[in-house]
Amino acid sequence: MGQLIVLLPALPLLTGLMIHLLAGQLGRRAARISVSMAVVAFVVAVALLAYMLSNDASYQVSAGGSWGILLADPLSSLMAVLISGISLIVRIYSVRYMVEERGYGRFFMLLDLMTASLLVMVAAGDLITLLIAWHMVGVLLYFLLGFDTRSATASRYAFWTLITYRIGDLALVLAAALLFHAFGTWSLPEIFAQISANPGAHQYFGIALEEVVGYLLAIAAFARSAQFLLHTWLPYTMDGPSPVSALMHAGIVNAGGFLVNRFAPVFVNTDGVLHLLFVVGLITAIIGSVLMLTQNDIKKALGYSTMGQMGFMIMECGVGAFSLAIYHLIAHGLFKGTLFLSAGSVINEARQHDGVPKQDLYTFVVERKTLKRQQPWLVMAAITLAVPIVILFLAHWMVAQDFYQKQGAIVLLFFGWITGAQLLFATYRMGAQNAWRLVGMVIFSFAIIVLGYTVISHAFDLFLYPDEAFRRQIYAAAGIDVFWFDLLVVLTTAIIVAGWVLTYYSEQNRLWRKDQLNHLWLGFYALVSREFYLTDLYAWMTRALLQAAARLNVMLRWR
Amino acid sequence: MSQAWLLLAGLFLPLFPLSMVFNDLFNRIGNGKLRIVLLMVWPQIGVAIVHAAGIDVPGWIMVWALLTALLYGFRSLVLREVSLWVSFVATSAWAVLWLVMTADVAWSELFYYALGFSVPLALLIVLSGELETRFGAAYTGLYNGIAETLPRLSGVLVIAVLAVVATPVFPGFSVMMAAILHASAQSLVTALLLLLVWLVWGWTGARLLHGLIIGDSKHTTVSDLGSGRAWSYGALLVVMAVIGMNMIGGLA
Repeated sequence: MGQLIVLLPALPLLTGLMIHLLAGQLGRRAARISVSMAVVAFVVAVALLAYMLSNDASYQVSAGGSWGILLADPLSSLMAVLISGISLIVRIYSVRYMVEERGYGRFFMLLDLMTASLLVMVAAGDLITLLIAWHMVGVLLYFLLGFDTRSATASRYAFWTLITYRIGDLALVLAAALLFHAFGTWSLPEIFAQISANPGAHQYFGIALEEVVGYLLAIAAFARSAQFLLHTWLPYTMDGPSPVSALMHAGIVNAGGFLVNRFAPVFVNTDGVLHLLFVVGLITAIIGSVLMLTQNDIKKALGYSTMGQMGFMIMECGVGAFSLAIYHLIAHGLFKGTLFLSAGSVINEARQHDGVPKQDLYTFVVERKTLKRQQPWLVMAAITLAVPIVILFLAHWMVAQDFYQKQGAIVLLFFGWITGAQLLFATYRMGAQNAWRLVGMVIFSFAIIVLGYTVISHAFDLFLYPDEAFRRQIYAAAGIDVFWFDLLVVLTTAIIVAGWVLTYYSEQNRLWRKDQLNHLWLGFYALVSREFYLTDLYAWMTRALLQAAARLNVMLRWR
Repeated sequence: MSQAWLLLAGLFLPLFPLSMVFNDLFNRIGNGKLRIVLLMVWPQIGVAIVHAAGIDVPGWIMVWALLTALLYGFRSLVLREVSLWVSFVATSAWAVLWLVMTADVAWSELFYYALGFSVPLALLIVLSGELETRFGAAYTGLYNGIAETLPRLSGVLVIAVLAVVATPVFPGFSVMMAAILHASAQSLVTALLLLLVWLVWGWTGARLLHGLIIGDSKHTTVSDLGSGRAWSYGALLVVMAVIGMNMIGGLA
């Protein structure tokens, strides 16, 4: 079993190199070789996960020196199954999808090297190996996104990705250097053991080392997972081939969640880092979702949807639900990969015939018409507010009764309640012919999702963090003072309920049609449609910097 | 006396404005082979001077060196002539060696570190010669899209640029890691400046590649590298990667 963790990245690495060296002789057979090896890699990953599930024993394999250590543990085995699975699907899809593209062999070579880098990244047992793999993922993604070398646009946006990733890479480099200085080793298990044994023992210019490293790791995670201010590359990378988009959205952007989990022993010893993760994740989730709603390009909408989901994933880390973030990234990876791979067919289908069914959903969403016959609003309001609470409490009661003592769980419950209530609220506004049936279906789906989410995330918790004391430590690190927490919950609830009431009131009285409000609404829409002018700002800054460089060259006479 | 030696060393491990001497000289020499010799020898002389004169490198020189590295990296962003780009990036990279020099690194290793920066740059000069042979000039934005017409040459060019900008596992990566290890122990500002230099290298490398290999090429008549040459350049890059991996082991 010891060799499996080595075999995993070695397989795609070998095929990648083989395709590169024998590209001329292999021709279209390159794809077959790549897919066959991907199948083997997936089987190996599943075998490794099965071993981890049946034997509670992590192990590491070392190349003999201070680096080149691969770690087989629950986190790496779980991530390996996700990566090898998604990359297998992407490769099978690409066999026909890319067949008419130039550089067919090169594409599979890059896919294989990317898979190998991702597998090394999740299994890295030392900082140097992690840095190399982390860095290589960014470089290979640059070449995959700019695969069509004739397209200057694809290349430009691939560069945006590269430079954003570099910002994150360098933060990780500094974090690694600080950890090496303090602990005198590159080995992650050794560093974590020393931190756990003696937390807060090291300082960096007067600040606890864990705190500084935590912030640097957070920056690395933000850049990789397209968090607000470092997100502009994500929706613009749609000029790359669809399989690359699928791989990127399903298996690369979620590396931020992985990084937080890998460095969990560091994060549990920090004070404010998890709160920062929560705030940045929350802002990203909201802004990503708002921007998604204004897109008319399906792939760009999917890009912003990923941004929102990544925000939610980072937010989960911020409330201490580390293993939930892993479950989230797996679930998101699977559904977003499917969406990207089927986006082309949907567009093609839509171009050929407008087959949108004229049902309740269509008339509500597209034609914005609601039926006149609606159920009593008081009954519906009661259902809207009460049902999500009952479902959420039931779900968590079945998992762990002391769940409510954890602030993170309450925050997630709160989000579940808002989402559920919003869903039922929208359903009520739809005013379907058979409203009770529709509401019943919504409640049933909601219950299934919440129960599934709760039970599965609890199972993930037990698998990834079997030590109960450590699990408690994570939630404790994410917690804040009870008074402030309660105050925040009350305030947020008040704002959201007030928002609902205001929406209801303004729609009843047709306030939106009044000039002043309409003007305000249009102004907001313009702001959102220009993506808060961030892209323009970055483009302007880039131009200014390049002009400054040119002026300096003239001034110094190119010497 | 040591000040004079320091100044002399600042000429060969370029510190602005002394760095202008190297860049002027490099650009006056039109011969590719001489340029390669200059790239290989120039920083070695600097390291040798510091070593032979027994100069105790003062701390403030780190900031000066970093600002020089940043200045030349930044200025290289808008350069379109490949050989000029090489000389600016060389200046930027060699300035970083000052940081490693103040660390506890064996002198013999410093010579390798200097080579680690110089060899990929020298290879780029060779490749710019290949471009000049085919197009009359090695200039970005002049004949886009060589990835289409010259896949072998562009493949080698891409990997050589990656080696120049200190991508793992090339030697530059180890040198930068050694520099970061030292700089982060000194001060956060020094470490951040060094990271900024590294970031700018990535940017300038991507801009160079964009200007050469991306786009629709109209030059269909030019011939690609012969397989023998492509293999030899490839072998050199593999050797560099192997040496780089070996150097990473020395970081512990």
